[in-house]
Amino acid sequence: MKLNTSKYWLCALVFTATLLSCSNDDDNDMEPIAMATCDDGIMNGDETGVDCGGSCEPCEIMSMDPDFSGTYAQVDFMGRPGINTVLSANGDIKDMHNQAIPSEMGAMFQPGFETQLEALHDAYAIALGLTAADVDYQPNILGDILNGPDDDGFTNNPVSAEVLTTVLATDVIEVAPNAPTTYFNPGAGAPTYDGGIGLTGRTPQDDIIDVSLILLFGGGDGARFNGEGGLPLLVSDGVSLTAILSDSFPYLGNPE
Amino acid sequence: MAATAIFVAADHIDAPGSMGTSADIADYFAFEPTTGSDNTVFLVDLQSDVLPELAYGTFDEDVLTEINIDTDDDLVEDLVIQAIPRDGRMYFFGPVAPSATGRGSEVAINSPLGDVAISGSTAIVETTSNGVSLFAGPRQDPFYFDFFRFNEVVAPSPEDNSGFNNPGMDTFDGANTMTIAVEVPNTLLGQTTATNVLGVPVYKTWVTTNRKQ
Repeated sequence: MKLNTSKYWLCALVFTATLLSCSNDDDNDMEPIAMATCDDGIMNGDETGVDCGGSCEPCEIMSMDPDFSGTYAQVDFMGRPGINTVLSANGDIKDMHNQAIPSEMGAMFQPGFETQLEALHDAYAIALGLTAADVDYQPNILGDILNGPDDDGFTNNPVSAEVLTTVLATDVIEVAPNAPTTYFNPGAGAPTYDGGIGLTGRTPQDDIIDVSLILLFGGGDGARFNGEGGLPLLVSDGVSLTAILSDSFPYLGNPE
Repeated sequence: MAATAIFVAADHIDAPGSMGTSADIADYFAFEPTTGSDNTVFLVDLQSDVLPELAYGTFDEDVLTEINIDTDDDLVEDLVIQAIPRDGRMYFFGPVAPSATGRGSEVAINSPLGDVAISGSTAIVETTSNGVSLFAGPRQDPFYFDFFRFNEVVAPSPEDNSGFNNPGMDTFDGANTMTIAVEVPNTLLGQTTATNVLGVPVYKTWVTTNRKQ
């Protein structure tokens, strides 16, 4: 190929002084000097994109990034599990809750939540043939964890129906950056509840149903409606985790 | 007291307005993945196949999922993490102060967090250079609850007032959901002055779905 090499070298020298152009189409392994092609996989010549635009076919207008424009309006909401569905008394309230924002929720939902909490107790009074006073909401064990136990477990306990529903009406999940995640753990249990902790997050394995039932129906020792002595079982739904979880992100098992 | 025929805890089979739609939030989790971790995990479960008539299986491109984080205890979001699908990938944005708080949202396109291919049965996970993990796709629904017995529990009668059964039956055994998962270093969320009722410093968080107008 020495002859061709010399020819191109001569062309290169001469090109700067004259308007001679050298063809490269007779030798495939010589780098083209000037002519671009529309199918060489290179953006060159007068192309405006790789092998398109200019003398080539027009480039399609291709957006490199997806379109995320527009405004989006809230259609559903969730904070803690179970709150809207258990304590919102009807579909209209549930729909309202799904489009609410936390800063407005206390005023909007606390009275109705308190009424519904008492109504759930009254329903059992009626069904059991008792008076409403026999089956009123009793302040729950969260108060003992907050303040230590009293002599009878719930006198002067601040977690009344009003206080509980005030906490629950502002429906957010708290997650602690620097404390272990515990939805609710009564610690040593009644009466001292030593080590009791909660409200630092929610994991997939947490039994949030039983926790919620205990706080709603468990009374002063967490076991008020435990299915014994003719009372209904309201502090547990009797089921445990059945799904497969994972130790690694995303911490949930493959679909079944 | 009348019990609505279908209403279930943890927002599964949700309120009439959003029940069974592609924007239905079935569940929400926020936790540290291991004791002492410096990360926080957020799992948002959308949709459910627990009943055949519910929408399930595809993330809706008109639905923006937004994790809201309040760090100063005023119950207004100081940060959001957003997720929205496009062409088989889930795009994440934030944590960033939102352009507007409350019921309206825009995608924070100037704060991309990363994106990940939407998984099939096997999980595809994306880990970004700043230590964030991302996932979007179908997962086993971890929720467990005796839903059918609950509907009877909230409408007791003289004939049936025994409450739950022990053992009960998990209505959600075998159910699946569409999960959006993000694990972030707490340094991306920053400090918080909010506390829970026990005085422990916490991020206060909630999740919304938002439909394109």
